[in-house]
Amino acid sequence: MTSPRRRRLDSVAGQVFKAAGIVALGIAVLFPIYWMAVIALTPTGFSRSLTSLVPAEVTLENFVTLFTERPMLRWLWNSIIVAAASSFLSLAFGTSCGYALSRLRFRGAGLVLILVLATQMMPATSIVVPLYILFRDFGLLDTMQGMVLGHVSLVAPLAIWMAKGFFDSIPADLEGAARIDGCTRLSAYWHVALPLAMPGLAAIFIYGFVTSWHDFLFAKTLINSQALWTAATGISSFRGEYFTLHELQMAAALTFALPVVIVFLVMQRRIVSGALSGSVR
Amino acid sequence: MTRAQRRKRPGTLPGRFGRLMTEGPGFALLMLAPALLVLGFVIGLPMVKALMLSFDTIALRRPAAAGTYGLHNYVRLLSDPDAWGAVLRSALYMLGTVAGSIALALSAALLTRRVVRFRALSRLAFLLPWTVPAVVTALVWGVMYDGNFGVINRLLDHIPFITGRDWLIDRQTALPALILAQVWNEFPVAYIFFLAGLHSIPDELYEAAKIDRAGAFAQFRFITLPQLRYIIAVIVILLMIMGFKSFPIVYILTGGGPAGATETLTVLTYNTAFRTLDFSYSATLGILAVLVSLVLVLGYLRVMTRADTGKGGAV
Repeated sequence: MTSPRRRRLDSVAGQVFKAAGIVALGIAVLFPIYWMAVIALTPTGFSRSLTSLVPAEVTLENFVTLFTERPMLRWLWNSIIVAAASSFLSLAFGTSCGYALSRLRFRGAGLVLILVLATQMMPATSIVVPLYILFRDFGLLDTMQGMVLGHVSLVAPLAIWMAKGFFDSIPADLEGAARIDGCTRLSAYWHVALPLAMPGLAAIFIYGFVTSWHDFLFAKTLINSQALWTAATGISSFRGEYFTLHELQMAAALTFALPVVIVFLVMQRRIVSGALSGSVR
Repeated sequence: MTRAQRRKRPGTLPGRFGRLMTEGPGFALLMLAPALLVLGFVIGLPMVKALMLSFDTIALRRPAAAGTYGLHNYVRLLSDPDAWGAVLRSALYMLGTVAGSIALALSAALLTRRVVRFRALSRLAFLLPWTVPAVVTALVWGVMYDGNFGVINRLLDHIPFITGRDWLIDRQTALPALILAQVWNEFPVAYIFFLAGLHSIPDELYEAAKIDRAGAFAQFRFITLPQLRYIIAVIVILLMIMGFKSFPIVYILTGGGPAGATETLTVLTYNTAFRTLDFSYSATLGILAVLVSLVLVLGYLRVMTRADTGKGGAV
């Protein structure tokens, strides 16, 4: 049998090996984010002559160019409006549905659940083509209202599914007590269940906001005029326009990604548990 | 009604109808109606429209053919090498992202599961790529893959016998390059599941294995893997769905090129509508995609219900 000392050496070696593995894998995984920042901070046109992995000269001129010569601020603002509106609408319409799916027994409940799940999981390209034709007929093409509606089709199934999860985690006894005190079912929902679910609803709002913020397909398809572009469409256009001007591309990418990263850092724990409950993207 | 009266009986609506809606079976309807109306408008209506389009001929190149209904789009689909090529590329894309994400996520989860110092930091490192929008992922990897100035080729210059290439323009490397970008963006989802799954494995199992002098690999093979099997099943399906849906990374980086080498089913659907301007055939391809995703959803439900009832499942 191995001596205790030998075993301790083994475990120390194992610890060092593991730590080295974490550091190596971590560096590899974080490298693209680091590199995005490096190029974004390099003077315009100079990233091609970088000779090392650390920036030789740091400047903010790319960000200045981005906000002064391109309508980046406008695009970010459009993104905020669309994300807030579509997330709010999805929550307003989806919450009661999530509650019904969590609490009420009714015929077809399983079917509604599966339909909600299926709509969340099918490719958005299948929706966007007929939606484009419909919106063309309704005159909703190239309008903010149209884009908000398009994003509702992305966010609402998510909101319903997550709301059901949150109501599942609230004990039904409290509403039962309210009912005994003379509340109708509607008021038990409105005055008891809804306030209890508030933190959950806030999380759904943020999750929906981020989903809409990330969306590229609807924003690209349903909007044509540059003034109405969201930031996702705006920065993706840079790949064609500044194909070789990597610095501007990366400055735009960093600007667009940063708000979401900050939100994630603040709410890391809740988002992770939300993902585990089956509501991923 | 005065404010005081409303306080007395909260949540009542006037009349018999109101009573039905707040108490009886009407309540379920009241709660469901808003969501169903909205979903009916933004998802149901487009699906119906897609079906109608798929039997029609709405295409820029054949404007006179509009209104002739038939199965011609479906007949064309059955013998269209581009469509089945796209299905094959979607399958490869799914396979690549599932295998890559699971390998990366499982390694990261095994490495960080018992970390004590820098615990939050080490986990954050493997979660961060998930917060990066797909559009940004596409831009960043596009810059890194650049044939002339990309950092990947520049790093490869220092390694003998390996020469860089134009990763996204080379027919052989374009699809794997896209898969790598997608893996980088989405493996954290699998990482979260694996961490939770590993956490739920009782320590006693490993202690017993140590007494039996099982090595690290044997512990992994005979304890960790079997205990994770439900989690792995859930992740495989979830990643397949995510890979199948994936659009921005492929579209922004290659648009389906070079010469269709990366044209997955979603990208082909989009290009057929907005490049070829054949909306009817695009709708038909879209319906094919919906059918595929329905199969995946059924698989997901099956796995989830089994993970719920099965032993050792932690989801």
